[in-house]
Amino acid sequence: MRRRNFVAASASALLGLVSGVRVGAAVPRRSASWLLVPMDDAQSDHLKAYGLAFRALERGERSEWLLNYRYGSFLLPAATGTARDASLNGVVAEPVDDAAVLAIRAEIAEGNMDAVPLEKVPKVAVYVPPNAPPWDDAVTMALNYAGIAFEKVWDPEVVRGGLKKYDWLHLHHEDFTGQYSKFYLNYAGAPWLREMVQRNTATAQSLGFGSVPEEKKAVARAIGAYVEQGGFLFAMCTATETLDLALASPGVDIAAGYADGTPADPDATAKLRWDHALAFQGARVELSPTTPVFSDIDGHQVNSLDRRQPLGSFQLFNFSAKIDPVATMLVQNHRQVIPDFYGLTTSFNRRALKPSVTVLADEAGAAWVKYIHGDRGEGTWTFFGGHDPEDPQHQIGDLPTDLALHPHSPGYRLILNNVLFPAAKKKELKT
Amino acid sequence: MTGAASRLTGLFLLTAVAPVWAQQTEAARRAFDLERRGSYIEAIAAYRTVLATNPADPAALFGLERSLVAINKLGEILPEARGALKANPTSGPLHGILLRAWAARGEPDSVRAVAERWAAADPRDETPYREWGLAALARRDAGDARRAFLTGREQVGRPDALAAELAQAAVQQQDWPQALREWLAAIGRVPGYRSSALATLSSTPEAERPVLLRLLGTERGPGARRLEAELRARWGDPAGGFEALSTSLPQNRAAAIEALVGFLDQIRSQTGPVARRAQAMTLTALAERSTGPQATRFRLDAAQAFSEAGDQAAARRLLEGVAADSTSPGAAASTAATTVIAVLLAEGRPDEAERRLGGLARSVPPSERAALNRQIAWGWARGGRLGRADTLLARDSTVDGLAVRGRVALLRGRLAAAAALLTEAGPFAGTREDATARATMLALLQAVKADSLAALGAALLELERGDTAAAVTAIERVAAALPADGGGAELRLYAGSAARATGRTEDAERLFRAAREPAGGVSAPAASLALGRLLLETDRAAAAVQVLEQLILSYPESALVPQARRTLDQARGAVPRT
Repeated sequence: MRRRNFVAASASALLGLVSGVRVGAAVPRRSASWLLVPMDDAQSDHLKAYGLAFRALERGERSEWLLNYRYGSFLLPAATGTARDASLNGVVAEPVDDAAVLAIRAEIAEGNMDAVPLEKVPKVAVYVPPNAPPWDDAVTMALNYAGIAFEKVWDPEVVRGGLKKYDWLHLHHEDFTGQYSKFYLNYAGAPWLREMVQRNTATAQSLGFGSVPEEKKAVARAIGAYVEQGGFLFAMCTATETLDLALASPGVDIAAGYADGTPADPDATAKLRWDHALAFQGARVELSPTTPVFSDIDGHQVNSLDRRQPLGSFQLFNFSAKIDPVATMLVQNHRQVIPDFYGLTTSFNRRALKPSVTVLADEAGAAWVKYIHGDRGEGTWTFFGGHDPEDPQHQIGDLPTDLALHPHSPGYRLILNNVLFPAAKKKELKT
Repeated sequence: MTGAASRLTGLFLLTAVAPVWAQQTEAARRAFDLERRGSYIEAIAAYRTVLATNPADPAALFGLERSLVAINKLGEILPEARGALKANPTSGPLHGILLRAWAARGEPDSVRAVAERWAAADPRDETPYREWGLAALARRDAGDARRAFLTGREQVGRPDALAAELAQAAVQQQDWPQALREWLAAIGRVPGYRSSALATLSSTPEAERPVLLRLLGTERGPGARRLEAELRARWGDPAGGFEALSTSLPQNRAAAIEALVGFLDQIRSQTGPVARRAQAMTLTALAERSTGPQATRFRLDAAQAFSEAGDQAAARRLLEGVAADSTSPGAAASTAATTVIAVLLAEGRPDEAERRLGGLARSVPPSERAALNRQIAWGWARGGRLGRADTLLARDSTVDGLAVRGRVALLRGRLAAAAALLTEAGPFAGTREDATARATMLALLQAVKADSLAALGAALLELERGDTAAAVTAIERVAAALPADGGGAELRLYAGSAARATGRTEDAERLFRAAREPAGGVSAPAASLALGRLLLETDRAAAAVQVLEQLILSYPESALVPQARRTLDQARGAVPRT
């Protein structure tokens, strides 16, 4: 069963249990058997609330994600461990009895809301190099802050088929065109860049590839196959754009000479195979080795002096919770308009989107969108532009963001929606 | 030809040429405008129209080059570049465009051929070799770049020719000693290269740095010393840097000041006693080479730096010099004189400080004099001369005076009197830190309840004198004589904090653990938080998590729970540790 069909069916079944109960109907009051984790402004730590729900799942407690009910609240069994966890982490969890839960279900049945069971603990992998690059990774920080367990994978594991054991994969700042984020010339001599080049070159050689760009394309293909076979992919920043460029360029040299010893094919743009890409089509490759820009997919072009666009704010779309629960899950938030933030890839030009792409958030009146989603084979992918939702102009070498100072961050909530969304899956999609 | 005839001829020629010239100018202007608007494709077509009429038009050719670079198609300029060079075969700039066109097409042999033809036109010109080498550097071929630059050096016949370029090639090859040698040659010729040299050499890997310092040691001349000094400063050895600089300062005063200011800029943001001392020495050297208010300013800054480096004697010498210098501006001399008193107090010499203050009676404003008087009184108190302190403070009824009198009463063990005075002083006496310390002490006194405890006063005096070990033991002894919920726990927590602040972690841990008893006591949450932080600082995160979780779950209403959660996040690695 495709994931979307399952969610709709299971939610309907759940609501069927409470059919006939009217809001306000007299129901005998019993002791609290549930904890409602509100996700509206009553919540004291929105980000840790996701960790609370995740750990409840880990303990085998059957929970529910109440889409659009108080901005995406969670309903958890009132187990001692969960109450303790909420108290330790400063997460507001309101005790509710069965009668109150029935009333909530009735309210959900009547509005654009839905209750999605959370049943499976997703096994989470974050694609990250073994060394520490001089920039932070929003997803790793969000997972650490929320207390969601994850494992790290990199090229050797990916190329050797190691993604099979994970339900959810995150990519962040990686450059899958193999050009070291095109920092090679501008940061020549920087120790971190030297180490990055040495490590990538050695890894490419050890895996039997002639160059780093060729090896990164193989990694991109493995990630594409992972999605095809039912994996959940969430990518941010440069990883979004470069993954698609790498997928779309089999046999085409799109990398600068410093990366693979040969200059990029001047006709690379015309030769790209967009049918291999997940989200984009018809984009023009930036062939200048000195411009830290990959293509015209990105709407903001932050590192191009003459093309850079100022930051605005983006608005989340509304979806029908009962008809389109996947998109609804991905946009659960207590804020609908969120300040934008730069990344090496900040946004996605509308004209570069494939027709099948679902836009989850955009900037009103702008030529670009911020947050997109789509299917590929049995799996799904979600792309979120930008680097760090709470550091709009993150610079190389800046200190990592301290999320304890941003416990209500709406931008980080979008990341965590993605982490929890595979938990709504009932069965393994992969064979 | 007569003048009138000449004018007529000129007019005739102008009218004949004007339409063509005007069209050309208009086309060039349009092309430039298109380029400026970012319409590169249209600009390229427009520039080509201009060049079709005048192939050697340098402005149009450069415009075409810029526009093609913008769309990453510089290689397509080749026909126009060849055409222009045919019309003007000796032009250096046109050779440059042709060379860059071949480089963009990835044809190193053609790049070299163009460079050689260009150089043949003027064998003493470095530019052809520079362009050739830079093209090689752009494609990360440092070997070919080096060959180009060395060929240029040989042809030009000067040993320092293209040194900066060779240094860049060496950096690309990670050949740091060679980069240093070339940078020294470049600086010798153009001193302005020093900042570029410093920027690139400062990223030398740590293992290579001793080699570079040895090489620099063998070099003579102020340029090498100055580079050594600034590199040492960037590599965390400001003292060594100052030593290298001070032995080779030029005789010329302006040049020496320029070198010292440059070095000071490198170390200005560094902290810690060693760096502050190096800053102090540099400022002193600057003061010696300066005059008037500038010199006084340098001396005052140097005294401040010496004081923060812990060298009070050096600070005092400088300040006394400023105060005694009849040429010092009045405000500066007064500042120096009062700062000397603070330095004397820091040295533990209240007697000398009091004598100095007596000598400044007229030159110091009354409010400043009163403040100094309080500092001296506290100096006497710290030395155990509590009576002398009381005498000095007797007529001071300001809130600051009340605060100091409260602290002196505390050292006498008169707890009730101290509490009354500290309360009366209120929140505005002294700095914010002083106010916080007063509030902490008032909370402690409130828990202890006794009106008088001479042993506690004596223990606090030990603490003020810096003998933390003796003070902690003495406070613990007092705590043992009090009930746990009657001040005993609070005193243990206070002693534990003092022990922790001076690195006595074992004592601190023992005292914090003891202060958590009785469970449910007022001090238990604070003691648990202090213990959790201590465990985290000493790399026992798991134990810290246990203590902090217990605190949050046992005292959910405590005001310390947010701080406990924050520390818990740090212990779990959920947020960066700062």
